[in-house]
Amino acid sequence: MAKNDITFYYFDLRARGEISRLILACGGKNYKDIRFNFEQWPEYKPKMILGQCPVLELENGLQLPQSLAVARYLARENNLAGKNNLESAQIDAVIDTQLDTYNKFLPQFFEEDETKKKEEMEKLLSVNMPILVENLQKLRQAYSGKNSKYFVGDSLTWADLFVFDSIQQLLHGLPGAKEKYADQFKEYLDPVTSDARLKEYLKSRPDFKVI
Amino acid sequence: MSNYKLYYGNARGRAEITRLIFAQAGQKFEDLRWEQDEWPRYKAEMPLGQVPVLEVDGIKIPQSISIARFVAKQFNLAGRDNLEQAKVDSVVDTIVDLMEKIIPVMLEKDEQKKQKGLETFQQEDLPKQLQNLETLLTNYGQTGPYFLGSNLTWADLMFFRIVEILQGLVKIQDFLDKYPKLKRNQDEVQNQPRIAAYLKARPQTLF
Repeated sequence: MAKNDITFYYFDLRARGEISRLILACGGKNYKDIRFNFEQWPEYKPKMILGQCPVLELENGLQLPQSLAVARYLARENNLAGKNNLESAQIDAVIDTQLDTYNKFLPQFFEEDETKKKEEMEKLLSVNMPILVENLQKLRQAYSGKNSKYFVGDSLTWADLFVFDSIQQLLHGLPGAKEKYADQFKEYLDPVTSDARLKEYLKSRPDFKVI
Repeated sequence: MSNYKLYYGNARGRAEITRLIFAQAGQKFEDLRWEQDEWPRYKAEMPLGQVPVLEVDGIKIPQSISIARFVAKQFNLAGRDNLEQAKVDSVVDTIVDLMEKIIPVMLEKDEQKKQKGLETFQQEDLPKQLQNLETLLTNYGQTGPYFLGSNLTWADLMFFRIVEILQGLVKIQDFLDKYPKLKRNQDEVQNQPRIAAYLKARPQTLF
């Protein structure tokens, strides 16, 4: 690894960091994948520009915070953000739609009040998931290219990667989701799992730790 | 020449950032605003049954922030290269984090819960994110006044939006006094000729 590789700082989790790791793996360039646990975080926090993570640090030391700003930057750098501004916007809209559900899910996954957590997770499963399924179908129909298996246009973009990653997290962490939705989501996961560029990374990346 | 149509209610809300971007760009667009009773008629035509939606060359894009980013990029208000655009995005995301904290408080119907929420927001969330924004303005904007320095981008317009929401709707004043760079930023933006003209001319609605 060269001294001047870019560095990605995040917890040793998938959560909000994995999308960037997937984009980097797809792009194939070297980078430093710094992972830490909750006990080690106080050591890293003061070094992060806003005291939060993930952070992408460029070769010259400049830091970018905010998980999606980082992911979008990396997607553009690795030609995974659409072939023009309109496609980029369609990709962003797909991701925002996925986030409508994912952003409700992730805080609940870490909720300590067990009663509240159970209630909210049940709501997510019965109310939000059906809406997500419907919305993803509508957008895919509108944005996918003719005879394309990809979400937007005719090739893999970070929309496919984001949907893949957050669906995997939902199936893993939302009680009842796997039984109800695993089959329905297969068509969103396949284009990613069958991509040659990701084969190595998907095989070798750490299993789910927590989320 | 592209044709732009923005669908929303007759309100500022989640569409106003895009209207500000069009105004700063000096770009015409169809500003479709409907009253509440007309909404059921339009809902079925919207991709996800929600608004705002931008229609450009026949393609409909939902999701307010994605729309704003698209329009900003169309008119060179998003940063001149990928790195600048990423800096702008991280400022916008920080502002959105703040918006997501105040919106539930604004919508809270229980007066006691609302007051408690407002207290937490003013004591914890607001200072934290204002400090973050001042850090980003210093790091990325150097001597400013804008988040990218001497070039105004939609990040500055987003900041203008959150300030007008906090001052106008939530009625919190003076919170910028401790953050001179942010205060200067907000002054500069509202005195931009196209923005000043737009603010004078735009429809006056409740929110």
